[in-house]
Amino acid sequence: MGRLEDALALALAEGRCRIGQVLIASGDGGGFELRHRQDAGRTDLERFERAEDARALGTKDDAGGYRPLKTAPTLRRDWVLALPDLSAVCLALDYFYPAALGQWIAWRESRLRITSLRQTVSRQTGMYRITGLITTKQADELTGANCGSAGGCLRTILWKLENDGAELTSLPPEKFSAEFDQTGAGEAVIPLFCSEMCNILVAAARPKVKGEMASKP
Amino acid sequence: MLSVFSKPGSALLIVGHGSTQNPDSSPPSHLHADVIRARRVFGEVACAFWKEEPSLRQADYLFDKREVYVVPNFISEGYFTTTVIPRELELSGPVTTRSDGTVWKYCEPAGSHERMTELLLRRAREVAPGVRESEASLLIVGHGTGLNDNSAVAAKEQVERLRERTQFAEVLATYMEEPPLISKWDELTTAPNVVVVPFFISDGLHSYQDIPVLLGLESEPTAAASERDVFRKNPRELRGRRLYYASAIGTEPQFAEIILDQVAAFDAKHGTT
Repeated sequence: MGRLEDALALALAEGRCRIGQVLIASGDGGGFELRHRQDAGRTDLERFERAEDARALGTKDDAGGYRPLKTAPTLRRDWVLALPDLSAVCLALDYFYPAALGQWIAWRESRLRITSLRQTVSRQTGMYRITGLITTKQADELTGANCGSAGGCLRTILWKLENDGAELTSLPPEKFSAEFDQTGAGEAVIPLFCSEMCNILVAAARPKVKGEMASKP
Repeated sequence: MLSVFSKPGSALLIVGHGSTQNPDSSPPSHLHADVIRARRVFGEVACAFWKEEPSLRQADYLFDKREVYVVPNFISEGYFTTTVIPRELELSGPVTTRSDGTVWKYCEPAGSHERMTELLLRRAREVAPGVRESEASLLIVGHGTGLNDNSAVAAKEQVERLRERTQFAEVLATYMEEPPLISKWDELTTAPNVVVVPFFISDGLHSYQDIPVLLGLESEPTAAASERDVFRKNPRELRGRRLYYASAIGTEPQFAEIILDQVAAFDAKHGTT
């Protein structure tokens, strides 16, 4: 088994059988079953059996809207994904929550690279170079408006705003806690870490910076 | 030529652009990854994207293997392959050895491979079966302008090769945003049949929604390809011609083979294995 499978086996042994909105359970006839956490116990779910099916299950929300951010709290319901072994579960989880398992292992081994918002915007080029001009206050507002667990993203933020360690003030303390279940259900989870601002937030920074530059007298 | 090497100790990372707007941008990269994974050529296979997840910055955490071949699933060299991907993956050249001991091998983009010409020709013939080449004009349509002018250069190179190898009445490179404009396809061509092949990686925004409007197939952009029940029928009688519109070249299943060929080409060029 590879490191990802080993880590997943360890997580399950620790009782961490939830990741984001997905519940990992033992299958009736061996193997594993993945489903939406809110569909626990249901037997009337549409059944899928290929790890690759996780891609389609994660692409659209219940209203049919595209989910470019896989960690948005909008995973669709009403399905069960039956998989034969840990290797297939790891592959499926990498479609539901890309790289999350690997990032969790790296964090446990103290080798997860954490990048401040300032470092991320400062290395941008092309149309996103302008995001390097974002102020600390703007960055704090931007993150608060886009990254909250209730409607934005279920990741736990590990990065700081500035290289000097300036903290985000626009989100509650639990948003930065590795042990907090960001769905609010209070269960043991494999955390989804945010080790640096994502490109969706970089893209959102551009109109924020340009708009406020344009509105200055 | 089929790629026949085996690299169980290495990983393959296919890098795509991805989109926050259109769900049809990343599937070709994922499907090529599925094909290569099933063939067990590499120990691990994954995709990463500029605009989707996993991001290029998360690629470090996708693999157990210590050696990673990176193949950009892009149509040409350009801004993304020379600036964005090396920056985000922290690549310093063709071979980058990180402080953690992992080795990253940066291959040429899929679209730069010489077999692209063969694929374009295959797609043109598939979309217009039974049509004599001498009675058809072939248009390759690229983006043009923007940060990446190299895609236009790459389209021109393909057109030169196609002219040498085929009997089409004419073969032209056309663009969405610069002359010769694809919107003037009927003025640019003379044959009764016109075959249009988009020189794009996916049936995303440009090839599925924008170009059909420029061709006159649609009066306004349609829903994304994956949200439509009925795929377009070929040919369409339009502006006094028969128009055949293909799907983007990057959706061709043979593209997986080209990705593997770029790995083999990297090893041959850099003397690595």
